[in-house]
Amino acid sequence: MNLSDSERVISVLDEAGYTYTDNEEEAGLIGILACSVRQKAIDKVYSRIHKWNKWKNHKNLITFISGCILPNDHEKFLKLFDITFQMKDMPKLPEMISRYGITTPVHLKTGIDPHNENIEEFWSVKPSYQSDFEAYIPIQNGCDKFCSFCAVPFTRGREVSRPSKDILAEVALLVSQGYKSITLLGQNVNSYGLDKKGEEITFSELLREVGELGNRMKKEFWVYFTSPHPRDMTDEVIEVIAQYPVLAKQIHLPMQSGDDKVLIRMNRKHNMEKYRQIVHSIRRILPEATLFTDIIVGFTGETEEQFENTRKTMEEFRFNMAYTAMYSPRPGATSHRWDDDVPLEEKKRRLHELTEELRKHNRIYNHNLLGKTMRVLVRGEDRKIGFLSALTEGKLIVRFPHENENLTGQFADVKITSASDFSLEGELVKVEELV
Amino acid sequence: MYFCPLIQQTKTEDLKKYTITAVRHLTESTFVLQLERNGLPFQTGQFVILRRPGTIDQREYTVYSGEQEDVLEVLVREVSDGKVTPELKKLQPGEEMEVDGPFGFFRFQPTMFPTQKFLFVATGTGISPFHSFVKTYPEHDYRLIHGVRYSEEAYEHNHFEKDKITLCTTGDKNGDFNGRVTDYLFTLKLDTDTQCFLCGNSEMIHEAFDILTGKGIPVQNIYTEVYF
Repeated sequence: MNLSDSERVISVLDEAGYTYTDNEEEAGLIGILACSVRQKAIDKVYSRIHKWNKWKNHKNLITFISGCILPNDHEKFLKLFDITFQMKDMPKLPEMISRYGITTPVHLKTGIDPHNENIEEFWSVKPSYQSDFEAYIPIQNGCDKFCSFCAVPFTRGREVSRPSKDILAEVALLVSQGYKSITLLGQNVNSYGLDKKGEEITFSELLREVGELGNRMKKEFWVYFTSPHPRDMTDEVIEVIAQYPVLAKQIHLPMQSGDDKVLIRMNRKHNMEKYRQIVHSIRRILPEATLFTDIIVGFTGETEEQFENTRKTMEEFRFNMAYTAMYSPRPGATSHRWDDDVPLEEKKRRLHELTEELRKHNRIYNHNLLGKTMRVLVRGEDRKIGFLSALTEGKLIVRFPHENENLTGQFADVKITSASDFSLEGELVKVEELV
Repeated sequence: MYFCPLIQQTKTEDLKKYTITAVRHLTESTFVLQLERNGLPFQTGQFVILRRPGTIDQREYTVYSGEQEDVLEVLVREVSDGKVTPELKKLQPGEEMEVDGPFGFFRFQPTMFPTQKFLFVATGTGISPFHSFVKTYPEHDYRLIHGVRYSEEAYEHNHFEKDKITLCTTGDKNGDFNGRVTDYLFTLKLDTDTQCFLCGNSEMIHEAFDILTGKGIPVQNIYTEVYF
């Protein structure tokens, strides 16, 4: 989500005469788009801003912060940053900068607009895409789920769906410009449309429209979405994905825990029975799909037995990827009021165990791909010298020997020749189009 | 010459304001905050977020009143060292609160369920959604088990039909059952198609979850709302 937001910020600042730089030290304007799910990210903000404020002793520098910020952090950030604003007010950022330090308040209103009333103005900003073959499209903002470990409902406000005609127009524009990988983004993508109470299409209908658009445009591209919530996941969504070639056969389904009692404490509003049903549907309807998940280990009160239930799900579901994080209490989230009672060493051990489980199953899955020819999207130079890095439709990493970086952003067929735990290696069979 | 950004006092984005119409103190620490409804739509079991105007601390409360009532009520228990509830306790009719919502998926419109056998299990102020239920669907059958420490915490039990509610007390013997709700739950005979709703602290919910599944209730017939 932050990547998509960043693209829009860059676009607005580009219009205002700024140029994006990777070099922190040469910047005259530095901004942070904060993330509210993990406290670690916010801790990093504090460490960075203190450094930048020291730089102000010897250079002109303006700092700003936006994104997911809780009211308590907001108060502190007002003292540390020159400008703070909500994402929906981002189109006004150049105006805030121009007023900074002159005569007018830089920020007239703070806090969270829970109803995201001006979010459409933000969505209307044309993003400055950071890649010419991969793009992210926000389709929904905010969250109504109130998971106890997460502060998003308090930082991003309520679920608001972007008009489908705008989403489809952005998809069509990107595809016509040659984009090959498009990700539909939202805190709860599959509750898309529900806030409009019948006046907007549902998520499965939106996917169908994207699929139809793909058929009409007759171009090869892959469309992903993240993140869905198991509570709102339907067989219809999975069936639509199966029907259209442009809808990528990869599903990211956050589980968070494999134990019903932990899920209750997390206020997830899904149980393992429901999760199992969805995975069974995915395996039945989309047998070729890869499955990714998110897991938190060491959540408040998580016992060894409860963790063991999560570990067993690694065996049961054989995820292709699990983004696993050690629980860290986030101020503003309900769970912040509880004792963070699983010791750090224990959290590390649990994280390690899950990683090993993931490694074990990936090894088997990847070895089964040996000798197969897979369609990949080339993403650029690999860390391994003389190799290019690519992703399959299922987002598995494939590297293959090739010196020509011009293949970046192209589809290619690669025959898998070796497999390791978290990546594949192969040789180029065919490239779809050469620049 | 130095120029500094002029930053105005932090203020939260305005939410819709609701006037308090009454405060009913049920015990020394527990009270019902009654606000004007202002047409706020909600379904039994949902919650709202309350905040005092001009402040940033807010809390979630399940709606206590019925769907047809002209007022909006929440049941609040004061946490003596808390940031919000001691302030809520001081509120008087005529003062205003900011309300956001409704939210939540712990909803139980009876027609949503395949069978009409309802078991409600609550601890403390977790009785709120079930109070809303009986106010909204007074004709519907249900069985409510309410666990508290002392019998004086039998919050407005006169609003329930006497033969449908069981008060479990651990601190005195003036309830219908002396012991925890989960102890009582062990003694109950239940049809496996009973729709079970649990609301209260997570320890009770975890224990009740085990007991109910042990009695053959399928997991998908158990609905939970943890009070934090």
